[in-house]
Amino acid sequence: MSKLASNEYYDLVRTTNWTPRYVDEAELFPEMMSGARGIPAEAWETFDEPYKVTYSDYVATQREKDAGAYSVKAALERANYIDSADPGWVSTLQAHYGALAVAEFAAATAEARMARFSRAPGNRNMATFGMLDEMRHGQIQLFFPHEHTKRSRQWDWAHKAMHTNEWAAVAARHMFDDMMFTRDSVSVAIMLTFAFETGFTNMQFLGLAADAAEAGDHTFASLISSIQTDESRHAQQGGPVLKILIENGKKDEAQKMIDVIFWRAWKLFSVLTGPILDYYTPLEHRKQSFKEFMQEWIIGQFERQLNDLGLDLPWYWDEFVRALDETHHGMHMGVWFWRPTVWWNPAAGASPEEREWLESKYPGWNATFGRCWDVITENLQKGREELTLPETLPTICNMCNLPVVGTPGDGWNVKDYQLVHEGRLYHFGSEVDRWCFEQDPARYQGHMSVVDRFLAGEIQPQNLAGALLYMSLNPGEIGVDAHNYAWAGVGKQSHAAE
Amino acid sequence: MAIFPLSSNFEGDFVIQLVVVDDASTMDEVAATCAVHSVNRRVAPQPGKVMRVRRHSTGEVYPRDMQVKSAGLLPTETIDVIFSDI
Ligand SMILES: [Fe+2]
Ligand SMILES: [Fe+2]
Repeated sequence: MSKLASNEYYDLVRTTNWTPRYVDEAELFPEMMSGARGIPAEAWETFDEPYKVTYSDYVATQREKDAGAYSVKAALERANYIDSADPGWVSTLQAHYGALAVAEFAAATAEARMARFSRAPGNRNMATFGMLDEMRHGQIQLFFPHEHTKRSRQWDWAHKAMHTNEWAAVAARHMFDDMMFTRDSVSVAIMLTFAFETGFTNMQFLGLAADAAEAGDHTFASLISSIQTDESRHAQQGGPVLKILIENGKKDEAQKMIDVIFWRAWKLFSVLTGPILDYYTPLEHRKQSFKEFMQEWIIGQFERQLNDLGLDLPWYWDEFVRALDETHHGMHMGVWFWRPTVWWNPAAGASPEEREWLESKYPGWNATFGRCWDVITENLQKGREELTLPETLPTICNMCNLPVVGTPGDGWNVKDYQLVHEGRLYHFGSEVDRWCFEQDPARYQGHMSVVDRFLAGEIQPQNLAGALLYMSLNPGEIGVDAHNYAWAGVGKQSHAAE
Repeated sequence: MAIFPLSSNFEGDFVIQLVVVDDASTMDEVAATCAVHSVNRRVAPQPGKVMRVRRHSTGEVYPRDMQVKSAGLLPTETIDVIFSDI
């Protein structure tokens, strides 16, 4: 039997708009879910995805992708790579899985919103595949770490993290909820697929895949490369949606959505990917610095994509570029110092050789962030471990829900961007975080940061033990220094959590 | 006498931190409380200097013996603690 080539029927079969007879358009596509913004159906029908795929091709390709990743895992399982891997690399994997596996599964809901409510038939078609993609990403990233749960309970946080009040999980959920669950289909296409996936997941997955290959972790490298091929396909939904908005006089609205979520994504990656690439990955396996990855994947590629669409760089671009030398160093020091409150073992990455690398990648590091590490290192060398652990909470930004950090030492510039709104004092880690809040206060004002909850008495007892209980961090899960302080030139130290 | 939360932005440190003081505390006592969480943890001490408290939003340096309740600060408002010769 002869078969038509897909390009001969593709456009026809995905032309699935019809005239409803039993309900009216507004009931079929409620504005709250669809977000058509008054743009007529004919305009949405011009949506033309750059990447076209039929269902049968999709299924066949996905099956091959899964077979590839699972067979690499099966083949290498006996090699027990993890047992000989550097502890910093193990932490990288645990942080990655906990922050992303369940969030990816949740992203299926966002794709489903487009699959059902987008006014553009092509968008609905692509999002159906996107939805299946995200289910795969959730499942595969829960399955791969599962074999390691026999090694430590921290691996279980791949599944557990997003269901707890652990602070990094709260921060990630706040951002993902804002971007994926509480927006109409058009906003999801722009914020999730264009701003977040085009820019940032590219970097997380390609950056980490490069480091994984260098570190000899072929299982993880093949896993995340496999995921990235899906991301780069379904990330292409945002472009055509943006084009329609711009053609119909909604450029400003589109621009604002990008500006808000780009910054939010940047902050999340500054705490997740920044420490991993510049501090956790063993020195000899670092392919590029975090800043170099950002310059290549964000500054280079994202900038060009905005340009091609006729959009502007976010208004805060200069500040964003400046912050590439700062924010993630502060986030890393915060995660390391408050290490009992995370589900992985942070690697300090501050040995003399690593500091030399940091200074070469970030000139001035020694005179700024290095000053704090000097004090920490000396404390460890003189046996004062208790001074390298926290006795209070950091002030948390009411937008990104991450600590308010800046440059220490000789370049001290730490600043809190405060705002009193309806009688409540809010704290923000940057002018842009505060700006995001001000664009839609009703959306954000009710949220309580972990510090707000602590002060409201929700965390009991009001000490570190109470905070760990609140965050569901049990013995064996609580983070300790990944290398037992060897980087500081000291012998075996007793772990604080023991 | 009532507890009063503040956010401590300590000179030379990388992060702002929650401190809880008494509203009858003087600014010198506030500075000392803030120092517990920064000095000798991530900030080297500066012998011979005094630690002064200033309002983060305005830069106004408070008198050393001023009580927290007289400073017009909001709960959790951020203060800077700086090393000073006087
Ligand atoms: Fe995904
Ligand atoms: Fe995705």
